This record gives sequence, C-alpha cells and structure tokens, in this order.
Amino acid sequence: MTVSPSIPTFPGRILEVTLPAGPGGSPVVVGGQNALPLLPEGDHPHAPAVGMEIRTGPEELPPALAEVIGPFSGNPAALAQKCVSGWGARFLFLSLSGCNPDAGGQGVQDGAAIVREVLAATATPVIVGGCGDEDVDGRLFPAVAEAATRPVFLSYAEEKNYRLVAGAALAYGHGVVSWSPIDINIAKQINLLLADLGFPGERVLIDPLTGGLGYGLEYTYSIVERVRLAGLSGDAMLARPILCHLGDAWKAREASDASEPGWGDSALRGRRWEEATGLACLAAGADLLVCRHPENVKRLSEAAWR
Amino acid sequence: MHEPLFSACIRGAGAVLSLARTTLDGVQARRGKDAPLAYPETAYELPVAFGLTELRVTTLSGAGAVLDLARTLIREGATAENAMDAGAATLLAADVLGALSHENGNPYPPPSVGFVPDSVLRKLGIFMVDGSVPGVAVVIGNAADPAAAAAMVRHFQEIGLLVFLAGEVTGQMGAQGVKLGEDFKTFPLGPLPAVIHAVNFAVRAGLTFGGIGRGQAQAMLSYLGNRVKAFVCALGPLDDVALAIAAGAMKAGLTVLADEAVPEIPGLLLSRPAGEEMALAGMEARGIKVKWVKLPVPIAFGPAFEGERIRKSDTHVEFGGGRSAAFELVRMSPPEEVRDREITVSGTDLRGLPKGTILPLAIVVRVAGSRMQKDFESVLERRIHRIVNYGEGTMHVAQRDTTWIRISTEAVEKGFTLSDLGMMLYAKLHADFENIVDKVAVTILTREKDVAAGLSEARAAYAERDARARTLTDDAVSEFYSCTLCQSFAPNHVCIVSPERLGLCGAINWLDGKAGFEITPTGPNQPVEKGAVLDPVKGAFGGINDFVRQHSRNTVREMNLYSIMDAPMTSCGCFECILAIIPEANGVMAVNREFAGQETPCGMGFSTLAGSVGGGVQTPGFMGVGKHYLLSRKFLGAEGGLARVVWMTKEMKEQLGPALRERAAEIGIPDLVDKIADETVAVTPEQLVSHMETVGHPALSLPPLL
Repeated sequence: MTVSPSIPTFPGRILEVTLPAGPGGSPVVVGGQNALPLLPEGDHPHAPAVGMEIRTGPEELPPALAEVIGPFSGNPAALAQKCVSGWGARFLFLSLSGCNPDAGGQGVQDGAAIVREVLAATATPVIVGGCGDEDVDGRLFPAVAEAATRPVFLSYAEEKNYRLVAGAALAYGHGVVSWSPIDINIAKQINLLLADLGFPGERVLIDPLTGGLGYGLEYTYSIVERVRLAGLSGDAMLARPILCHLGDAWKAREASDASEPGWGDSALRGRRWEEATGLACLAAGADLLVCRHPENVKRLSEAAWR
Repeated sequence: MHEPLFSACIRGAGAVLSLARTTLDGVQARRGKDAPLAYPETAYELPVAFGLTELRVTTLSGAGAVLDLARTLIREGATAENAMDAGAATLLAADVLGALSHENGNPYPPPSVGFVPDSVLRKLGIFMVDGSVPGVAVVIGNAADPAAAAAMVRHFQEIGLLVFLAGEVTGQMGAQGVKLGEDFKTFPLGPLPAVIHAVNFAVRAGLTFGGIGRGQAQAMLSYLGNRVKAFVCALGPLDDVALAIAAGAMKAGLTVLADEAVPEIPGLLLSRPAGEEMALAGMEARGIKVKWVKLPVPIAFGPAFEGERIRKSDTHVEFGGGRSAAFELVRMSPPEEVRDREITVSGTDLRGLPKGTILPLAIVVRVAGSRMQKDFESVLERRIHRIVNYGEGTMHVAQRDTTWIRISTEAVEKGFTLSDLGMMLYAKLHADFENIVDKVAVTILTREKDVAAGLSEARAAYAERDARARTLTDDAVSEFYSCTLCQSFAPNHVCIVSPERLGLCGAINWLDGKAGFEITPTGPNQPVEKGAVLDPVKGAFGGINDFVRQHSRNTVREMNLYSIMDAPMTSCGCFECILAIIPEANGVMAVNREFAGQETPCGMGFSTLAGSVGGGVQTPGFMGVGKHYLLSRKFLGAEGGLARVVWMTKEMKEQLGPALRERAAEIGIPDLVDKIADETVAVTPEQLVSHMETVGHPALSLPPLL
C-alpha cells in the first residue's frame, strides 16, 4: 500500500521585490514563492540571498569578527568591496551606527557621505540602516535619501517614523524595510500604513526583529513562520519578503566571551552562533539574511538551496 | 446668485488663455516651433499638463497643444461645472505662461523665487508625508491691512505650514518683516501669475509622493483634494483672472478664502476677514490639525508623572473629592458652536490663593468633529483622569461628579493656572483622538453658583448617558469589536468585546472598541459583524466564529460568548479575574488578580491558575474575564448565569459592591451574595459544599455542569 503525503497548496504568493544594483552589479530579487521554505513543492523562483553588514561606528568586535573584519575598521568602502568581491555577499547592509551620539557621534552629513562612498565603491544592492537614535535618524534618513546616488532601501520604517522614512524614500525613489518588534499585528499594521500612504508594495521588505540564538530566536522563528503562513494564506499585507538581521547573535555572551575556555574556541563559537541563528531563520522563511562573519555568507548561501 | 461669479471665472480663463496664446506665438516667431520649452530643474516637463493630460510637452509646439486642449475646456454658460473646467483651463494656460517666462531662469527680482525646483519639492515633501508640515497655505493678492496679513502668515509659520505668496502681498510681507525663504518654509513666488508655481508644486507632490503617473487626471485631482491639505487665502479685490485661478484651485478640491464679499460655496469658497478667522476656517475646511511638540504649560507633562500622588501637605489648592462641589463633563457640540482652542476660566484662578484653599470646580469640554459620536463623550471624559495626572503637580481621582483634583504648591509656584489645565486637556484630547476630534474648547468654572448650575446640567447628561448604556445590549447592536492587542504575546488570542461583555482586561468596553476603531482604523479594534445568531443562549454567532477563526489563524474554530464549558473565549494573560469550575459544588469560583493567597476551593491561587488559563488556548471550565462581566445579563448564560457563582474572593465582593447585590436581586435571588462563599468560609471543595448546603446555594439545584 502506498501512502501519498498531503501537500498543502496556498492561495497566496509572496510579492517579488528587487533590490536594485548599480551599473554592472547584480540586483537581488527575492519573493515570488507560493510555498513554505526549503520544501520541494511549489514555486521558488528565487533562493534566499545572504548579505553582510557594515557598521560605521566604533565598536569592540567579538574575537570571531576581530580577526576577519577588524582590519577594515574605519574604512567602510574598503570593507564593502571586500564583502562583495572577496566574500560573496549579494547585498550590503550599511548601518550608520557611527551617527549615534553615544557611538561616534558623526554628523548626519558624514553619514550621508559614507553612503555615497560605499555606493561608489561597489555596484551591489545596498540597504542603509539608521543609527537607532530617534532624533538623529529623523534627520539622517532624509539626508541619506537625498545623498544616495542610486536606489537603496532605508531601514527601518516603524510605527513612530514610517511617514518620514516613507516620505524620504518616495522623494528619491528608494525602498523601505518595515520593522516591527516581533509582533505580527504590528508587522501587518505598519505595512497597511505604508500602503495607505501610497507606498508601492514592491519596494517593501519586512524586518520582524531577529533575536539571536538563546536570546529570543524562538520568538522570531515563530513570528517569521506566522508572517509567511499569513502571506501565503492570502494576507497581502504580509505577503512580502522577510529580512532577518543576524546582528543580535553577536550580542550573546556565548558568541563573544573568550574568558570561558571550557566553552571552546571563541572564534569558532561566535561564527557558529551566527550560523545557527541564520539557519533557523532560513527554515522559518527568511528571504534575506544579513550576517557579519564572511564564512557565514558561504555557509548560509549553501543552505539556502531554494 | 453664483452666476456672476461663474461668468467672471470663465471670462478670466479666456483672458489667461488669450495671453498665453499671444505670448507663445511671440516666442515661437522668435525661436521657432521646435524650440525646447521646460522649467528649470524638474523631471515633470510642464507639471500641470503632465499631471492632468496625456500631452508630452518638450517644445513650444507641444505647449500649443496644451493651449488647444485648454480651449476646449472653456465653455459658455455660467454653471459651476463650466466655471471649474475653465479653472482647469486657466491652470494649464498659466503653466505654459510660467514655463515661457522661465526661458532664462527665474524672471522675478529677489526675494521672489519663481518656479520651485524638484530638489526643494523632495525635501519639503518628506515633511508633508511625515505630517510635520501639516498643510499648505497659498496667500495671494493685495492685503488691505498688511499687518493683519503678516500676523496670519506668522501664525502659519508657527504651526509649520508651507506658505506660498504671490501678488503684492509678497512685497507687503517683506516690508512687514515676515521671514521668507526655504528655512521658514515660506516661498515668495512673485507677482500674481506666479501663483501657478504653487499649483505645479502641488501637482509634482502628487507625481512624486502619490505614486501617480502621467495623465492620471482623476487620481491627481483626488490626491490634491484629499492628501495635499492646501487652501488659498485671497486678499483684496478679486478680478476675473484671480477668480479663474481660484476656480482652478477649487477644481482640485482646495478651499479658497476671500476677505472680500463673495457668494460662498460650502467647503470650497468662503468669505472670511484676513487674520485668525481666515486661518482657522482654512485649516478647518482642509482638516489641518496642529500637533504640539511641547505643551505651553509651566509644569512638566507626560506619562512619567501619572502615578504621582500629591499629599495633603504638598497640596496648595483642592477641588471636589467631597470637600466641594466639582464635576467634569465632555459634550459633543455642533462645529459652529465650538471655537477650537478656546479656553475660558471664569472665577478665581490659582494665582495668589493661600495654601489649603478648597474651591468648587466645573470642567466642561466641548468637542466637535466630523467623526465624533455622542457615544464617545464618555470615552473622552474618562481620559480627563489620565491627562490631569500627566501633569507634574496635578492629581486626579475618580470621575464625573465625584472628581477630586489636587494642585501642588510647587506647581502653583511655577505659575500653573487653571488655563494651563485647560490647555493640557485641549492639546491632549486633540492628540489622542486626532481622527475623531476637530475642535476642542474648555470651560473651567470656580464660582459656587456657576458650578451648582452646571452640576444639574451635568447630572442630566450622566443620567442620559447611563440610560443609553442600558439600551446598549448585545441583542440591540449588529457589530461587536475585536481586540487583538495582546497577540504580541498570545498569538492566537482574539478578544470579542460586546456591549455586555467587556474585554477580559477590564480596560476596553464596546464603546472603547468603537472609538479605538475610529482613531486607528488599521489598529487592533475592528468591527465584527455578529452575523447569523446560531445560539442566543450560548452566544454563538456566525460572523464572530468566522472572525475568530481567521484571526486566530485557524486555531480557534468556534467560540461561544456566554459559555465557560462549551468553546469558551480564549484568554491572553491580562484578565482581571479567573473563573474556574468546582465540579463538586456544581458551580464556578472567581478569583481576582490582586488575591495573593494560594488557597481556593479549586486548589490553586490566582498565579497558578493564570498559568493554565492564558496563552490563547480554549480550556473549557476555565476562563479569564473582566470583573464587570459578572454583573452582565449575559454572564455565563449557557450555564445559568450569576447563580453559578459559588465562591468569590472577599475583595472582589467588596469591589463589585452594591452592583452585585442589585444584579442578584434582578435575577430573583437577593441574598445570593451572602450565599457565595469566600476565603474566610471555605478553601476546599468539601468546606464549600457544606457551606452551600447550609445556606442553600442555588447552584446545587442547577443542571449538572459536567
């Protein structure tokens, strides 16, 4: 007797979103699927894409990162080139962390200048992240939107600032990353609000906030899964590609603490911590992963087989 | 009576069109018909033609085609439609004239800027989308009283409006010392015809920020009418040309305010004296609301001070709380009877009062709004409690005619007055109920006789409201409201809030849900059609089941609103109290969140029970509810109602107080409350059953629960 497994089919399809590249670069296209991740059934026109983060502010790098990206500290354009041509990042997430008054305190115009430098240094798609300070970001996003010499994505638009970020993106033809704090309803609401403003859906990514392994990953996993199921079930506002930023994985003590020899080599540990977080996000349904360790670009890209 | 006006618009349109034609012919003769024509620094050719027609204009002959099209829009016959179309023709022709005049850049002497380039539009547009530029004021003409006009423009600048000036008023404002330029978001465009640059700015805003493509005229007009909150202040006498331009503005849905006598067209053409009245009328007509970044009051204000208690020794002045007559009342009024931001204090104010003064107090807030409903009065009125507590040095307790307000000595020393209290209420009610409130006026009275007179009016209003609340029943309404606020931590939980079953957190009743939906239409409170009544006793409704199924993502397939045993409502974790069955007693117990004891007849205290009730799971026999649900006529209808309650904490009995006894009397068991056991009587099922047998609790004779 043969048993035929029941294969669920979904009425919805995830909207296809293109992260545009500069001249000579390859754009990243994600979305377009009508099935759950990694499974054989359904259409998966685009495999998830793995990109790398570039931070502009001063920071103490965990041992695993210090040895590989440490040498590029203070030179975001050089790091950008290395990420793309050396390590295979398909897109860049440029965090203007240096504009935060508590971490470098670069001026808004300095941040905009860095965006221009990075865009000049590489043709790969770029997502530009704010510094996390509400006041500064309120000035930073319009400045970045104006300074960017080609279309980028602005990260992120949330309930408080979405009008400003969307306005800046509309003015200069950029996309936005809609952000919600691990909450499917807010994720939906912020997308609804963006749609109400007339923001084109094919220029929106969802960032559901990614907790690192051991520090909230399970919540993220569940939310990513539910956002994707809702999208596939026909909820247009959630039928959008999902971006998981793995930066939080490095905030775990286990990923960076070298003072615990019993936990094994801290460099390997850190890399694995990020990798495990990324693998879980892929399994949950992420379309875009942002990592920091070059080795993980390769490992996660291999895992993202469809 | 509008006919002369419409005729003038049509004559004006003809004049502008002829001028455009003559000018174009002249330039064509000089430069040839294929000579290029464009505004400097824009991607939108001639923006008005780009936005409203299919025509591509890159050359002088292209501009000729625009004028040909405009000509077809000018028809004889003094009707509103013809006048508005003539207005559209005027805008098309004026944009051609504007572009022709920019052959060598800005044709006007400084400070006039002429055409505003795309780069400025992008920068400012961000703040229009953002809402920090709440609207656009276009001031044109020749002010009879330049000082009053200057005060009006300064008022626009203060509230952050984008201002365009055209006509003599440009020079007048400069002479009055009004600050002009991009930094002040105030653009002197040039002489009157330059007003077209305000129009092509608005059209480009729609093209850039509204996602509108070339020639989508209807979408563009709708964007201009609904999204660009712009109005025109026309100062001085209006000639035919000015009226034709005004008709164009009206065609796009903008409101035109004139300080001369004009026959009014509601919402579109109004006659108001220049100054505050014109400003307020324009903003009201276009729904422009001012957001306060910082409240202009001498004390700190914010949620940080909400929990602050003001002790007797720190109290400077006190109102109500049984020590004097005091009340607060929110009334909905027709818009014409409410002057926004009017704060009136009548009687003794705080300044100079000796410490320990006790005064009577009346706070009457009048609100108006196109989406305001009488039912929301109580929702807004309850917010007074929080708003007053937000002040550092102001404390509010209770509500209605039991209100009790204390003002600290420190606040009075900082110069706090009752007008400041009014300002707090004014600004915060506006901010919190932005979508439903357009105008707020506050009256504060402290004279004994005024308060006494107001009190009887207020009591009548409370009585009327209570009577209305009694008629609001689950059977009488067709919609309930959802609350999915808690899905962040209980992903599949959906609260259904009906008139007779408030949210399990106790914080949201049906009216709150209704107001919540009006305030945030995309938010957690959504109207839910009851649909088919499947079982009136259990509270099973087709529409509710569909909604809950969809929003619990297929986890909760059906839900009965009035049952604890059969498909009960799920609980998030915020419940005020928990109901749990005691099988031995054939009834349910109720334990409130504050109850710290571990001993109850079901063997678990509140916190242990909470662990098994919450999380959005249906657990027949266990349910989290709001305390006041116990008083509802729909309370556990499927299981026999209040008579099922066999045990309740002492604290809850006290909190529900006389209302619980009234409800017991209503169901014909006036001594029920005394028959319900509490922790002093029974903490085990055996003790409970023996108590029930002693007092003859009605649950013993109800049908078995299991």
